[in-house]
Amino acid sequence: MADVSKNLKVYTTYGPKSARGTKPAIVAKMIEKAKRPLFVVGSEVLEEKLLARAQAIAKKGIPVAATGHSIKGFIDEEGVDAKYINIHFLGSFLCDPKWAGLDDNGCYDLIILLGHKKYYINQVLSGLKNFSDLKTINIGKHYTQNATLSFGNVTPEVHLEALDELIDNL
Amino acid sequence: MSELKTGTFSVSDLENVQINIGSIVGAIEKTAAEEGEVGPTVKPNISGLRDWDYKLLERYNPVYTPMCDQCCYCTFGTCDLTGNKEGACGINMEGHNAREFMLRVITGASAHSGHGRHLLHHLIDKYGADYPLKVGQTNIIAPNVQMVTGKKPETLGDLEGALSYVEEQLVQLLACVHVGQEGEAIDFESKAMHGGMLDHVGMEVSDIAQISCLEMPKADENAPLSEIGMGTIDSEKPVLLVIGHNVAGVTNIIDYMEDHDLTDKMELCGLCCTALDMTRYRTEGGDVPKAKVVGTLAKELKMIRSGVPDVIVVDEQCVRADVLREARELMMPVITTNDKIMYGLPDRSEDDIEDIIDDLKSGRDDGALILDFEKLGEVAPRLTQEMSKIRKEKGVVSLPTEEEFNELTSRCVHCLTCELECPTNLPISDAMTAAEEGDLRPFEILHDKCVACGRCEQACPKDIPVLNVIEKASQRVIREERGKVRVGRGQISDPEIREEGVNLVMGTTPGIIAMVGCSNYPDGTKDLYRIADEMLRRNYIVLMSGCSAMDLGMYQNDDGETLYEKYPAKFQKGNLINVGSCVSNSHITAATIKVAAIFAQRNITGNYEEIADYILNRVGAVGVAWGAYSQKASSIGTGCNRLGIPVILGPHGSKYRRALIGKPYEEDKWKVLDARNGETMDIPPAPEFLLTTAETIDEMMPMLAKNCIRPSDNNMGRMIKLTHYIELSEKYLGIMPDDWYKYVRNETDLPLARREEFLKKLEQEYGWDIDWNKKKIVSGPTSKLDVSAQPTNVERLCKEA
Repeated sequence: MADVSKNLKVYTTYGPKSARGTKPAIVAKMIEKAKRPLFVVGSEVLEEKLLARAQAIAKKGIPVAATGHSIKGFIDEEGVDAKYINIHFLGSFLCDPKWAGLDDNGCYDLIILLGHKKYYINQVLSGLKNFSDLKTINIGKHYTQNATLSFGNVTPEVHLEALDELIDNL
Repeated sequence: MSELKTGTFSVSDLENVQINIGSIVGAIEKTAAEEGEVGPTVKPNISGLRDWDYKLLERYNPVYTPMCDQCCYCTFGTCDLTGNKEGACGINMEGHNAREFMLRVITGASAHSGHGRHLLHHLIDKYGADYPLKVGQTNIIAPNVQMVTGKKPETLGDLEGALSYVEEQLVQLLACVHVGQEGEAIDFESKAMHGGMLDHVGMEVSDIAQISCLEMPKADENAPLSEIGMGTIDSEKPVLLVIGHNVAGVTNIIDYMEDHDLTDKMELCGLCCTALDMTRYRTEGGDVPKAKVVGTLAKELKMIRSGVPDVIVVDEQCVRADVLREARELMMPVITTNDKIMYGLPDRSEDDIEDIIDDLKSGRDDGALILDFEKLGEVAPRLTQEMSKIRKEKGVVSLPTEEEFNELTSRCVHCLTCELECPTNLPISDAMTAAEEGDLRPFEILHDKCVACGRCEQACPKDIPVLNVIEKASQRVIREERGKVRVGRGQISDPEIREEGVNLVMGTTPGIIAMVGCSNYPDGTKDLYRIADEMLRRNYIVLMSGCSAMDLGMYQNDDGETLYEKYPAKFQKGNLINVGSCVSNSHITAATIKVAAIFAQRNITGNYEEIADYILNRVGAVGVAWGAYSQKASSIGTGCNRLGIPVILGPHGSKYRRALIGKPYEEDKWKVLDARNGETMDIPPAPEFLLTTAETIDEMMPMLAKNCIRPSDNNMGRMIKLTHYIELSEKYLGIMPDDWYKYVRNETDLPLARREEFLKKLEQEYGWDIDWNKKKIVSGPTSKLDVSAQPTNVERLCKEA
């Protein structure tokens, strides 16, 4: 089992509220329980090994918001429902209960994040933390304080192992 | 006693006479009134353009992404505002973040305006208040000043009134930061917009004053090229490095060097906007620049650590706080020349030049504050020559030797602390491993991506001077850093606007891409080259300024040309212009104001709202601040936003903590009035934001094209813009954008070469009714094509209103 729930050290702090550490099995359970989960991927997901995991997660039936230019990794992938959206726009829309979502089926209740620049996604998550009730989980390799739950700071190898475990549990 | 209405007078040879002038504001207003039509907002106060701001903010909603969830502004606190809670004073997270953003904007505006005030004092002292303003072929010398203050300045002295207005307004805005003042986010937002507008007035004052007096290029499309890059500096010669933004004192250095035949005997080079402005000094008419540009802020610590400079002169803005501490280690005396940065150094302004040089070269003092520019002009080059000899004799070196380098890389324990501390999380650990194995390429790549902030060194538990390691490993690529940057040309001339204005408003020139700001890029400097080259090949006009203008010149194509050499520099489609330094950004907004004034014959004097409304609806311009880091970048951007120009920031720009983003799904927000009759018109979401970020340039490319679309585009213009949007989306994202149909009003808007393909898509995917015999759209579009329509957001501008 990949232990990704430790090393929650923050190098600069946003304030008193911090993401709790989490594990792949817990993330899988939360995704299963969610009514409208959204898998939000950034451009760093295009790295070959990470992309294979991201595609595998998407194929479990979770709609994908492909931010940055990450959509390139999901075009023509069978069984993947991916749409491009700018992450800053997405952060704004997710705080709006009137937004109908990427597929016009309503807003989301769980956001899972992978492949983002740490400093960038931390800012976007800061908006969601302060101005929405959404639960957010960062499954990237860097601990992200502004998520609700986050993997800790882990090496690339441990990170891939954790993602494989998550996929197995979905 | 007679009343003096307008004009100038002089008084001399008076003794013991007190002259009181109550106010000259009335006289200025009379002048403007006599010269022509004056709009309703001459020198608007904080609430003067609030209605316009509210219109913008209703469509473009503030999006807050706080960087700190607490407020510690007063002794009630610290207050935790997490979850939009209220603090002890009653302010909530939204309000506090809007206040923080406003503070950022007025800090930036103050930096530019403070710079302008220094410069104006200096130039009026030297050239006199009656010195005429000369900025090139134009009847609108200062578009921002005229639009905001109602004054058409003609002399240096005329600029004082504009700057006094800016200063007074900035004080009023700063007062609003105090506890117990403004409570609602939306009014802090309006105040931020006000600060942004003021910034462009302050910048314009600064730049037109120096253009006029310092023989800088004047709207010159043939401004010369200057050398740029660390590799252009001849370290065998004495090297004088200047850092900052205020060129006033440096001009005395250049003059002294020329007068004493030193120009070829030593290197005068600069970092940041002082460097750009040094190259502008006395190059009017195409003379050769008298200094070299090293590069941007990101090169500051790298250049000092290289050990190459013998003396450092700093002025103001974007100068690292540790320049003196870093330079001290390497026996580089530091001369500060501006009261904004004094580093605790003794004031030697009144001292004898020989004493100053003796104290610095002997090491008795690390540096000196010299506020007398004549003295500075002599001390700096003479000291540089002396220090060059001394430093060579002592064998001062900075970077590690080969042996030391090997020891340092092997000392790394790969704990990843440096990477997590690095603002960009660069892969330093892997580069250390590769270097241990003799492969320096990963470090060479890091050299370009690293902004040399030095946080890695502060964090390293093994005390490895990480930046020195990166720089030592990158000596090969540093030697190859040799480029060309076009010297800043200042304003866009009236004839150029006259010729190009129609193309911009109709859309047949697809847009203006203005690449401005600093060097905090997410993925290195070459991204700028890629953006500019792509958009220039597509016939956009690309305007550059500041640090972005520098970094663009660092790369050559396969033919060995920089983009400045490849593309001409006129204000017309497919041309590349460097307007100049940070304060030259005012010429970018000025160009859009001039389109309204010259092409559309709109009155601009004291008429902000109408001009901003015109620009928002008709001038396809987008700002890009890909590496924005400073407060000044936020004020420049916000000034663009109030004027209806959207701006895209790189991912680090999210740390400004506030964006302005529209919601395309809220259809009622995308309507304007037709000024011909006051009827409501549907428009596409264009532009769809005023301020946002993009993660990568691949993502940004289609955003640029889409947000140059304007309601006023004619069918040819819309077709061109839509073609670029679709092509860029396909090229960089690999997809057809899912909102392209929203920009189609009839079949003539469709890309010509793919019209039939898109008509099919409209019918099959969007249910539009197509007449296939005529290949025409029968029904479907939400907005209509009416080339005579006059889109406006301002009801009073409608004829039937």
